[in-house]
Amino acid sequence: MSVFQVSKGVRKERVFKMATMSALAFLTLFFITILLAMVAYTDGDTMISTLISEEVLFAIKLSLITATIATIISIVVAIPVAYAISKTEFPGKDIVDTLLDLPIVISPIALGAALLVFFNTPPGRGIENHIMRFVFEVPGIVLAQFTVISALAVRLLKSTFDGIDTRYEQVGRTLGCSKLRVFFRVTLPLARNGVIASCILTWAKAMGEFGATVTLVGATPFKTETLPIAIFLSLATANVEKAVAVIFVLIIIAAVALLAIRRITGRRYPI
Amino acid sequence: MIEIRNLSIDLGEFSLKNINLTIGDREYFVILGPTGAGKTIIIECIAGLHRIKQGEIWIDGNNATRLAPEERCTGYVPQDYVLFPFLNVADNIAFGLRQAKYPKTQTVEKVKSLSNLMGISHLLNRDTRSLSGGEKQRVALARALALSPKVLLLDEPLSSLDLQTSKYLRMELRRIHKELGVATLHITHNQMEAEEVADRIGILNMGKLEQVGKPDEVFFHPENEIVSDFIGAPNILNCDSCRTIGHGIAEVTCDGMCIILPHDGGRIQKIALFPRDIYISDVQPPGPQVNRFKGTITNIKSSGATARIEVRVSGNTLQTEMPRDIFEDMDLTVGKEAFLILKLRRIRTFEGKNSQ
Repeated sequence: MSVFQVSKGVRKERVFKMATMSALAFLTLFFITILLAMVAYTDGDTMISTLISEEVLFAIKLSLITATIATIISIVVAIPVAYAISKTEFPGKDIVDTLLDLPIVISPIALGAALLVFFNTPPGRGIENHIMRFVFEVPGIVLAQFTVISALAVRLLKSTFDGIDTRYEQVGRTLGCSKLRVFFRVTLPLARNGVIASCILTWAKAMGEFGATVTLVGATPFKTETLPIAIFLSLATANVEKAVAVIFVLIIIAAVALLAIRRITGRRYPI
Repeated sequence: MIEIRNLSIDLGEFSLKNINLTIGDREYFVILGPTGAGKTIIIECIAGLHRIKQGEIWIDGNNATRLAPEERCTGYVPQDYVLFPFLNVADNIAFGLRQAKYPKTQTVEKVKSLSNLMGISHLLNRDTRSLSGGEKQRVALARALALSPKVLLLDEPLSSLDLQTSKYLRMELRRIHKELGVATLHITHNQMEAEEVADRIGILNMGKLEQVGKPDEVFFHPENEIVSDFIGAPNILNCDSCRTIGHGIAEVTCDGMCIILPHDGGRIQKIALFPRDIYISDVQPPGPQVNRFKGTITNIKSSGATARIEVRVSGNTLQTEMPRDIFEDMDLTVGKEAFLILKLRRIRTFEGKNSQ
């Protein structure tokens, strides 16, 4: 075999590498093409004037507020739920676990429709009439986002708690901590990076939530107009420049969130 | 003092069967047993990490069976130490003190004195993830001792360390135990480790405590076949005479074999040596002929990776053991002459009732 010849094994290795790299290049180019198409569709001046328009600023503000509230509520609820599923054995755990996964796989529109149906039942009407109005109102946006993202938060946090060796908690107990105290002093500090990453991901998901929101609260400008609804309304009125500007806002938010997660998960404790 | 009464527990893969054991106030007790014997469960039961349905655990005169782990006053050092990665060394040691709301000055002083005792005062600001195995062990020990526990529970504390560090830390564990005098339960599968640190040893097999006694008693008088198999059936020689020939050195005669060994106590009645601690050669080794003997091979058993060779020396038959591949490279056959070298430091002595 001369120096320029390669063995069969090396050739196969090259073919495999070429195949995977080609797939990678195809997908990357696919997304870059879509982004470039949007850039080509608008210009800087139109983009800036659209972004600072009253309606888009309202959508940004409403999305930021509702997504943040929905994230806080879902994380506060998801932490004990995820801990219970991860660390506790109880009858019917598989069924509960599957039930909590359903919102991840069910279409958000279906979830929104289910919420709408619920508020047409006697208990739902009772809540609407006596506690708080959700249908076609801003609290409904938070509820729709919460319904979609809470299951995701539970799933992410459960995998974080699964990764924490129970012996840390056991040592904490022998060092004088009650079960509750050990959760706050040992488990949560160990889960810190996972909790932060879950917050960012669920928040980003809430920012982009459309299906459940539009079904429950409708698409009313200057009332229930979140960023995704703003895109929907812009396209419905053939205002593509505005849609592109709002899409860029969502892309920037997603990119920053993903970058932050990469930074945080890169500093995970070796547990 | 720890008292375990009729403790039985079944955790599926591991179980304990009717364990009865008392560990004295200043005693260093080692539970020795093979992997899967249930050693860790005993420690976890004492620490309160399993709900006990049958039996009782008493700590310092109080029934601790139904107490939560935080109410038991135990210091627990798990295998691999499990230091909190989000705290530095000083904060790890101070963890228990802070939970118990010790005043800040007292906490600082306690951390300082414990780190001095463990020889880790230069590590206090270090991230625990950057420590060596030996350093982690000391930090875990300091953390467990910070609340002045009534019982110290050590779960295979030396198993993840290299041989040199492990040997050194055995001495350190004894020193720390002597200084603090806290009742200590240490579990291990390493027989040498157990003999070096223990006041008494308990042999645990398949969840059952087979024998409890001083290391010499267990070693020279195994109560049943399980214990005998586990400790490895040593060569035991009866000594006809024993005389001191210098400071800390004695000479014993065992049926025609004159053996010199380190010894400080009274008259030696028996000596023992494991087959693995006797070297065998087909040629006469050079050097002084102390503890070296010529004999005749009477039997060879070769199974698995090990070869066992029986050699008749004077009136004794000694078993030696060596890796099979080395044995196959040597010219050793039944009936041929062979030369034995006894490992001086591995010879164990028994003085009867007054043994140490």
